Amino acid sequence: MRLVIDPTRCHGHGTCAQLLDEYIRLDKWHYPIVAKQKVSVSHADLLRRAAQLCPELAISIVDE
Amino acid sequence: MIESVSASIMAPTGPRRLSLGWESAQRPVPSGRVAFVSDLSARPRLVMPLAEHVAAYGRLPGGLTMRMVLDTLRAANLTGRGGAGFPFWKKLQAVATAESRKSPVVIANGSESEPLSKKDALLLKNNPHLVLDGISLVAGMLGAKSAYLYVKDREAHTAVNAAIRERRERGISELRVTIVEAPAGYVAGQETAVVRRIGKGPALPQFSLDRISSSGLRGAPTLLSNVETFAHVAMILRFGAEWYRQGGQGGDRGTRLLTLVGAVGRPGVYELSPGASLAELLREADASDPRAVLFGGYFGRWIDLGAPNTAKFPLDDQALAEHKLSFGAGILGVVGRETCPVVEAAAITEYLAGQSAGQCGPCVHGLPEISTAMARIALSSDVERGMHDLRSVIPLVEHRGGCQHPDGVIQLVRSTVGAFAEEVKLHRSGRCSAQGSHTSVLLPPGASVGTGGAG
Repeated sequence: MRLVIDPTRCHGHGTCAQLLDEYIRLDKWHYPIVAKQKVSVSHADLLRRAAQLCPELAISIVDE
Repeated sequence: MIESVSASIMAPTGPRRLSLGWESAQRPVPSGRVAFVSDLSARPRLVMPLAEHVAAYGRLPGGLTMRMVLDTLRAANLTGRGGAGFPFWKKLQAVATAESRKSPVVIANGSESEPLSKKDALLLKNNPHLVLDGISLVAGMLGAKSAYLYVKDREAHTAVNAAIRERRERGISELRVTIVEAPAGYVAGQETAVVRRIGKGPALPQFSLDRISSSGLRGAPTLLSNVETFAHVAMILRFGAEWYRQGGQGGDRGTRLLTLVGAVGRPGVYELSPGASLAELLREADASDPRAVLFGGYFGRWIDLGAPNTAKFPLDDQALAEHKLSFGAGILGVVGRETCPVVEAAAITEYLAGQSAGQCGPCVHGLPEISTAMARIALSSDVERGMHDLRSVIPLVEHRGGCQHPDGVIQLVRSTVGAFAEEVKLHRSGRCSAQGSHTSVLLPPGASVGTGGAG
C-alpha cells in the first residue's frame, strides 16, 4: 500500500500528521511531508482512518 | 473524407517550412538556416486558403496504419513543442493502447501561457490548416470522435474558426474540432488545467493518480500536445521521417519555431533549420552584445556567453543537452550589458510567484519566500541571507506541487545562481555588472518590476 496526498486539496489541517506520525511530518507552514510512502499492512486500518478524517479528503491509499 | 493519395514516404520537391506562404518567409534568408518569420506585433498577413494549402503541402496522406504512424514519428524523433519535449510517438502509443471504454480525445494546446511566446498564435493565424491537418491525422488514427483546440489569442481564434468552417464546407474532414478559449494566466496552459477547462471547469491544474493518456477529459484517454507539434505531424506523415531528419530534394527539412526576445534588434518569431547555431540566430536577430540567454522560457536555464565562442554550438537537442539546456517552450530570452541576468531572474521569479494557482501550500507559501530571497541577491541588499534562504526553502517546495509550477521556478533559480556565480559574488560586495538601470528586458509586457519585499 502507498500513501498519496493530493496537494491541491490539502489545506494543512495537520490531522494526518497527528495520526500518522510515523509517516507524515509537517513543514514550517504546517503542510504534510510524506516521509514514508510505503505503508506496512499492520498500519492499514490506521491509514484508512486518517484518510477518512482528513477534512479535505486529500489522502488516497493506493494498493500495489 | 480523407482523400487518399499515397501512404508511402514522399520526398518534397520544394522548400516546405511551417511558415510557407507567410510574407517574410519569401525573402531570402542570409544563412539559409535561420528565417525571420515575424516581428512580435505581427498581424495575420496571409491565411492560406485550403486550395493553396493543399497545393503547397499536398493532400492528407491516406491508408496509414497506427504501426506506420508510430514508426514514422519515432524515426523522426519528433518531440513536443510546448515545453516538456516528450517524444510524441510515446504519447500517441500510450493513448492508443490505453484500456478504456471511452473513445479517445485529441487536444491541441495553443494557449501559449508563456508570456514571451508568440510562435503558437502566429502559426495558428497564418497556417491553421497545417495544425488542423495534424489534428485530423492523429484523431483519425486514434478513432477519436472529438478534438479540441485550446486557444487564447483572439486573432488566432478567428483564423482557426474560419479554417475549420472551410474544411467542413469542402468536406475535407469529418472530424469535429471544437475551439475552447484559454483564459489568461501562466498555469492555464498546464496539461491538467487544459483538460479541466475543456471539461467546463476552472483552468487550474489538477492532481491525479492517472495520466491523462489513460484518463483525461471526462475520463477518456487524452492526447494533448502543443499546436506546433501537430503541424510537424502533418508534415512528417506527408514527407516522411527521412525528410524530417535528413532533408529532401529542396534542401529543406524539419524545422522549429522559436520566439526570440530581449536585448536584440529584431525580436520576433524565427523558423530554424537544424544545424543553425546560436551565434547565427543571434546575428540574424541583430543582438549587438549578448551576455546571456535564457533558454526555454521562464522555467528555463541560462547560458552565460561570457567566454569567447560560447554561442557557436548548433541549436539541436543533442548540443543543447550537452550544455544542459533545452528548447522548452521555444523561447530564447537574450540579456545584454544593460541589465543584470540575476535581476532579470529575480523579476521573473516574482512574476511567477504571483502566477501560482494558489492551490498547494508549498507553492503558495514557498514561492514568495524564494522570490524574496532572489530579490535580496539581485538588489545586493543581503546576498548572504538570500542564498541561505534559498538553500532552506527550496527543499520544502521542490516536488511538492500538484503541477510543475514550483519546480519550474526552482529550475530557473538554480540555473541563475549556478550560471552567474561570479555575478552573485559581485553583488555580495554591493556591486552589479549591469551598465543600465535595474530594469528587465525579459518581463512580460505590462508586468511591473518590483523585486520588492527584500528590505
